Amino acid sequence: MRSPAEPESFRLVIPSQTRYLNLVTGLAKRASIVAGMDDATSAKISIAVDEAVTNVIVHAYGGEADHLVDIELRFLASALEVHICHTGRAIRDNEVVLPDPREYVKHPRKGGLGLLLMSRFMDEIHFIETGEGSECCMIKHVV
Amino acid sequence: MADLLIQVRNVDGVAVVRPEGFINAHTVRQFERALEALVREGRWTILLDCSMLNYISSAGLGAIMGLIEPVRANGGDILLCQLQKNVHEIFDTLGFTELYRVFDTEGEALQCLNGKV
Repeated sequence: MRSPAEPESFRLVIPSQTRYLNLVTGLAKRASIVAGMDDATSAKISIAVDEAVTNVIVHAYGGEADHLVDIELRFLASALEVHICHTGRAIRDNEVVLPDPREYVKHPRKGGLGLLLMSRFMDEIHFIETGEGSECCMIKHVV
Repeated sequence: MADLLIQVRNVDGVAVVRPEGFINAHTVRQFERALEALVREGRWTILLDCSMLNYISSAGLGAIMGLIEPVRANGGDILLCQLQKNVHEIFDTLGFTELYRVFDTEGEALQCLNGKV
């Protein structure tokens, strides 16, 4: 039973396969609306979740399909927290380098835009190493 | 329904590509293959009609980004029209609306390409 001090939450665990992305992003969008976000903000959160889960599947697990991605959504009084946990290669906060969009416009190339979208569409992003693996925590405050 | 359907039409020498559904890491190869096929055929002017595109992630943006230089080097261009609000916001957030010409309608884009505006 949930303690009254704990936020309401639910978890979704998916195989590390991109075919489940739509399932996750659809759920994230609906959850954002439940958390009190407007439609535009919910769309942004779902995009950030897509990018974060894609990073885990493609980069942390190197595209290997037989791992798990654990997505937990926590409904706080004034925010929605999304925790994406995995046991693949970790990324640390100090390794995150966001590309400058102006440089991208001057020198177009593939790749590197996912983190930028995540950082623009969420209020906080943290990469955490836990005893059991790694976690990307993204927070969006309800305005 | 499939995650992504892609329709390609030829309108006055312009390849009008209409993706319908979602472009993300799962569907991006399908999108890339469609664009690469056009480039292989020497169809360097590509108009992306995004009226039925519900969502595009950075994987899809990368696919467009990866072709812009060869397309422009061959005298062509990639243009966008009829972006839904959330898709426009993604392009705008990343500064892509400075890199690509964006039109409200397909007609406006084709008129521009034909030098009528």
